[in-house]
Amino acid sequence: MKWRKHLDWLLTHLTLVIVCFIFFFPVLWLTLASFSATGSIYDLGGFFPKSFSLAGFRKLFGDTTMYDYPNWLKNTLFVAVGSSVLGTILVILTAYTISRFQFKARKTLMKSTLVLSMFPSFMGMTAVYLLMVNFGLINRLWALILIYASGAPMGYLVQKGYFDSLSSSVFEAARLDGASSFRVFRSIALPLSKPIIVYTALTQFAWPWSDFILPNLLLKNKDKWTVAVGLMHLDETQFTRFAAGSIFIAVPIVILYFCLSGFLVTGVTAGAAKE
Amino acid sequence: MRRKAAFIVLAIVLALLLTACGGAKNKAGGGAGEGGFQGDPANPVVLHILENDTAKAEGYLQALLDAFNEAYKDKGIQAVDANMDEYTDLAMNGPYGYGPDVLYQANDQLMRYAEDRHILPIEAEKLDCYASTPESAWDAFKMNFDGTVYTMGVPVNIQEPMLFYREDMMPEDWQTKWDKDGSGIADFFENWCDLYAYSKELHDADPNKYGFMVSMNNLYLASPFMLSHGNYIFGEKDGVLDDTDIGFSKGDAVSGLWALRQFAGQMNEGCIDDTVTLNRYEKLADGSYFCAVSTPDTYSLFLNNLTNRYKQDGLSEEEAKEKAVENLKMVEVPARMPKSGDLGQDSSSMTDDDWTETVVMGGVNGYGISSYTKYRDACVEFVNFATSYDMLKLRADTLGIAPTRSDVAAQCGDTADIIFKSLEMGRIYLMPSIKAVDQIWVPCQTVMGDVAKDPFREKQGEAPKYPGKTELQAALESIDRNIYDAIHTLAG
Amino acid sequence: MGNSLFVSALKSRSPRVRASLCVMGLGQLLSRQWVKGLAYLSALAAFVAYMALTGARDIVGFFTLGTVEADPWLGVAGDDSIIMLLRGLLCYVIILAVVALYRSNLRDIMEIEHNGAWGGNAPGFISSVKGYMDRKFYIVALALPVAGVLVFNVIPIVFMILISFTNYGGDIVPPKLVDWTGFDSFRRVLSLSGIKETFFRILGWNVVWALLSTAINYFGGLALALLLNKKCVKRKKFWRMFPILAYAVPGFITLLAFKFLFSYGGPINHYITEAGHSAVGFLDIDAGIKARIIGLGVNAWISIPTSMLLATGILSNMNMNLYEAASIDGAGPWQQFKKITLPFVVFSTTPVLITNFIGNFNNFGIFYFLRGGLYMDGYFLASDTDLLINWLYNLSIDNNYYSIGAAVSLIIFIITSAVSLSVYIRSNAYRKEDTFR
Repeated sequence: MKWRKHLDWLLTHLTLVIVCFIFFFPVLWLTLASFSATGSIYDLGGFFPKSFSLAGFRKLFGDTTMYDYPNWLKNTLFVAVGSSVLGTILVILTAYTISRFQFKARKTLMKSTLVLSMFPSFMGMTAVYLLMVNFGLINRLWALILIYASGAPMGYLVQKGYFDSLSSSVFEAARLDGASSFRVFRSIALPLSKPIIVYTALTQFAWPWSDFILPNLLLKNKDKWTVAVGLMHLDETQFTRFAAGSIFIAVPIVILYFCLSGFLVTGVTAGAAKE
Repeated sequence: MRRKAAFIVLAIVLALLLTACGGAKNKAGGGAGEGGFQGDPANPVVLHILENDTAKAEGYLQALLDAFNEAYKDKGIQAVDANMDEYTDLAMNGPYGYGPDVLYQANDQLMRYAEDRHILPIEAEKLDCYASTPESAWDAFKMNFDGTVYTMGVPVNIQEPMLFYREDMMPEDWQTKWDKDGSGIADFFENWCDLYAYSKELHDADPNKYGFMVSMNNLYLASPFMLSHGNYIFGEKDGVLDDTDIGFSKGDAVSGLWALRQFAGQMNEGCIDDTVTLNRYEKLADGSYFCAVSTPDTYSLFLNNLTNRYKQDGLSEEEAKEKAVENLKMVEVPARMPKSGDLGQDSSSMTDDDWTETVVMGGVNGYGISSYTKYRDACVEFVNFATSYDMLKLRADTLGIAPTRSDVAAQCGDTADIIFKSLEMGRIYLMPSIKAVDQIWVPCQTVMGDVAKDPFREKQGEAPKYPGKTELQAALESIDRNIYDAIHTLAG
Repeated sequence: MGNSLFVSALKSRSPRVRASLCVMGLGQLLSRQWVKGLAYLSALAAFVAYMALTGARDIVGFFTLGTVEADPWLGVAGDDSIIMLLRGLLCYVIILAVVALYRSNLRDIMEIEHNGAWGGNAPGFISSVKGYMDRKFYIVALALPVAGVLVFNVIPIVFMILISFTNYGGDIVPPKLVDWTGFDSFRRVLSLSGIKETFFRILGWNVVWALLSTAINYFGGLALALLLNKKCVKRKKFWRMFPILAYAVPGFITLLAFKFLFSYGGPINHYITEAGHSAVGFLDIDAGIKARIIGLGVNAWISIPTSMLLATGILSNMNMNLYEAASIDGAGPWQQFKKITLPFVVFSTTPVLITNFIGNFNNFGIFYFLRGGLYMDGYFLASDTDLLINWLYNLSIDNNYYSIGAAVSLIIFIITSAVSLSVYIRSNAYRKEDTFR
């Protein structure tokens, strides 16, 4: 019996090591490449650079005449934080309402969001561009926030699942005490939904943080670019700079996810209906 | 029907208006090029100039803007960097007021806008550079519109694929062994058979070394194999390019593709995709590639890599730079291509009849003026200034490009002059200046990569896909067909 | 039901109802509900002003799609058909919104009338607001999200659907005028020989891809979660960090990195050639099945971390007693997985599965980045790894055939939405909604 347990332990950990290696390796490769001294990808000769230096990062933040990374970072941060705040409010409101209220259009809303989400999104990009032209919102960062936040309620299912799972007795008690729906939402639902709010804010932050299609469409001037747009426009010989820039924008996400991984698990799980 | 009627009425009104104006305006209507521009110096008009990234990175754009703003202070014009991506699509942004006023792009890109009138016709003869710029360069920006020929851009410099190599990597005995005709130029820079022979010798001696390298799937860089044998991209009908007549398979094109397939056998798999295009700078510097194809504007990239190389070998920054400048050479691709496409022939046994002249694809970069600019005359002033002798000389010196002005080219050293002459002598096939040219790249890229892969299929013991000229001819015809489909099938 | 409100308003003899029937908000003003009445009235005034200034013109423009062709050389601004189409659409949306407002005005005045008939006073503005904070809270809460989705999601989609009934694209792009052409684009998609074959060929692979990648990602995540859930695994947080790392790198960077890793000049081929073998074309024109497998693998690398998190969360909700009971009954690990874990997990994740399936069906990035720029024999402007969405991109963005692209996307859209809607409606998660609290 004992050797079987040992074997099990060994096999489990062996698989784990292999799987984690598969996930880790490309990230490690990119990270080390960003420290390459020569700045080129073809000097590596295999996976890893022969000599290391901080030149890639120094160039990223120092040499800004052509590629103004610090400025891109600032723009990205503004868009991501803005979208995160506004988007979270909208998603939470939508999910809570659809979960807690019975009204005529409810089922129609649920079905139509499902159908809408199936439309290939870039086919609507021409229209989004023209809409923004029509409203004079090209080259404006907050216009991006508007679009990201407006699209956010489409993904309300996860949050709705969370609200579904909250025991309804608390809410009913409050209602019996004569609290209005708004009060119930503000003083009971919101405090209870901290994990799902954190989860939503995170996902709403991460998407604009790394999206490049929309900003590429709407931001014409280089000083308005976000990091993703800028990186895509980097000359292909600037590999170390590209790797450095990529690693640098991945870091905040890793830290956020790592600190909040507990919330994350709660959040993702909520999308599934409880037994 | 209603629309037609409305249109006719409108046309009549417009015609009346135009005649009312006294016919003093030329057929380009409010086209650019009239008189000077006098603005308010205290409150200058601002022009947004879109230049390419290299000009920006090397500081030329700033110099140009500074010089212009200084010269035109009193005339009330100020030029600024448009601060956009160098390939910004004018058709998408211009109409809504988000495009640049003046843009610098290659002729194929610029002329895409011409058909839909997104850029203005220019009265070329009124510009200072008119006389010193050859007709062939102007031709790249000419468009026939309802029987009238308009000039839509102002040429600045010529681009063509060039051969880069390191002088200190030349075989020591090249003067005795590789200069059979005693011309003082190595044979392998004069004809493709000797380049092939030298590449083979080098590669056979050391399997990690390669003579001539290029991404074979790149139509532009590998164009000697695609355009030298009497074929063409678009045919001409009544002096106008005809996008229903696609001619990659015409003439003796198959011989060129045969040569491509043969030469790929002396390269590594990197020639099938864009690997060579990306690694040529390092591989040339470290000596793995003896020579590689690139465009003149990448000179500084080669130079930086070679300098780094010498520094690693222990030279100081200064010495390394000096040595790199001394050793990095840029020449045209070999001028003579075997007619039969068989690179394995011994060049000494070949007569003049066995050769055909190499044709490479090239482009003319130039300035265009957006139709959506508010200050047309000011834009003309800017273009005139930017194509003046002094500015073009500075541009050529800073960026190492080959100018289209003959007076500048004559002053810029050998390379510029050679490229200039090639353009005049028709050795450069300019990218066709019509919108349909967008559709030629992917079909060519697909087939060229596939053909270049054939020698590697053989090496692995697989059956080759293109064992003979019949299959290659079919491949060329499929290119033509695919391009035709992409242009016409859906246009209905 | 829709018109009953209107009919009963017509039947009403009350002057206030009739006033509101004629002029939105008038009845409310007559009932001394100043704020509400003025709000309705000013909305009406704004609407009339809008219609007079641009709305009426926009509606006409929607039908003509422009009559004056622009000539940028002459500085003739002309008509931009596409902008006109969009403005017409916007005008319809505004009219719809006003109609909805008008109906709410009627409902409101009838309510006042009804209450009045029973002797009550018309509620003041404050108490109306209170109603919106309580009974009608859902209207307030949903107003903004619905408006946002309407403007930035629904309008673009309707716009694209409309585009498929025009001849927009190819040579006909602004400044040239676009025209309505009915079902022409659809006829062309279905009748041109090359297009039809390409469509079905790609559709076949697209379905296989969506099924396979959804299954791989889903079960991959589940397996990883189960592995991490084992009692013998200590430091779960540490092990979980690696997939999360993979998750944090933006998708397009991951894809570019993988493209390089598998290219001829990439490190994998470097070691293969170093070892004396010849380089492998993982993603080139002959790659075929290899490229498809790499696509599946890369997609798994990107998606498994999320599904692992999901599975971890669900497993933590499971009732462990079931397992104990099962092992007492002598069920092995495989039996336990099949009889307890799987049904539970699948049961609770059907909506997520459907979302993933749609996401994979429309997964644009993978093959665009890994293997773009190939047109193969037997395909019209596409390659053998392209999904429908990549083909759409080639058609509509690369080659400017907007109306054809729109027609194809509408066809795809109808297929996918019919399938997933029916699955969704049959799913347990949705059916439970009917017995909702």
